[in-house]
Amino acid sequence: MNDDDLIRRLHAADPAAGLPPAGPERVTHLLEDTMDDQTTPTEENRRRSLLPWLAVAAAVVLVAVLAFQTRGHDDATTTATDRPAASSGDGASSQTLTVGEAGTAGKCLPPSAQYLAAATTAFSGEVTGLQDGLATLTVEEWYAGDETAEVVVRAPSEDMAALLGAVSFEQGGRYLVAADDTGRLMVCGFSAPYDETLAGMYAEAFGG
Amino acid sequence: MPSVDPRTRFEELARALVEPLRRFLARRTDHDTAEDALADTLLVLWRRLDDVPPGAALPWAYGVARRSLANAERSRRRQVRLAAKVAVVDPPRERPDPAGPRDDVVLDALARLRPDEAELLRLSAWEQLTPAEIAIVLDVTANTVSIRLHRARGRLADEVRKIEAAAGHEVT
Repeated sequence: MNDDDLIRRLHAADPAAGLPPAGPERVTHLLEDTMDDQTTPTEENRRRSLLPWLAVAAAVVLVAVLAFQTRGHDDATTTATDRPAASSGDGASSQTLTVGEAGTAGKCLPPSAQYLAAATTAFSGEVTGLQDGLATLTVEEWYAGDETAEVVVRAPSEDMAALLGAVSFEQGGRYLVAADDTGRLMVCGFSAPYDETLAGMYAEAFGG
Repeated sequence: MPSVDPRTRFEELARALVEPLRRFLARRTDHDTAEDALADTLLVLWRRLDDVPPGAALPWAYGVARRSLANAERSRRRQVRLAAKVAVVDPPRERPDPAGPRDDVVLDALARLRPDEAELLRLSAWEQLTPAEIAIVLDVTANTVSIRLHRARGRLADEVRKIEAAAGHEVT
């Protein structure tokens, strides 16, 4: 049996070969639903039955950005408010995380899967919006936490600057982001621009 | 192109992609998960319309569908279903029609391969993508795809031989 035979056999075994096409009406519905979802990105009408999710969204508050504090750049993250808050009213298609500042010194642990596994929110995503103190990440893959299509990181502008300094969110950039169960964004190399090594660590921490 | 209304662009693009995406998902998961993953894939496509690479929309969309599927399956494993269906109408359950005798041997052999090898073969044989297109789906280089694809075919052939030998079939 040569390669061509093999591929022919595999091709012939295609489980979707007999799948009937979706009716045009259904496709129209599907596309309209999709576009309506976009026109009101923080609406409460999509998947609003996810009450448990809303509870989680309320609980997830990203408070501190301490990436550089133990790296000798204390001034990079020192100005911020002390009133973190999470928005829980965004419906389930996105979740909003608020960045504040804890005002306490943090210690950077070297990134490791073992420590990362403590994160209750972890995902990879691309920054698809960056304005007015909001960084919107369109999630590519969830490692932990309740899946939403997007995560919005909201912060007062000074905090945002601190966040930008720490994690360097840039429009169109791809990131791995983690937050622990007290709502702290895990920085210090845990939340960082996407790379294969870090992605491997995420996969290891959360079992792929 | 940018002067065209995004909704029009999306509709045009998505209509061309819906069927391939449905088949892609039907090959890899159950009906309900496929429906969820399709909705999520379209949502990402809509929100990232400007990122869709010209001339490579389909492999790009397959890449999105893979991630949506992984998310949907993880979610399904972990959570009670929460009435999260996006579809407005609930169409009659469609099942692939077993029009001819299925080649269970080759499917069994496929199932014995490592997941990444099996996925390469599916993308090649079922989605009929070129190595360059598969590279876009998997976010690796085309060269890597070619090498791994060659190896995966070899392993599939080995597994088919083993299964057929065990069943007393003629080994060719």
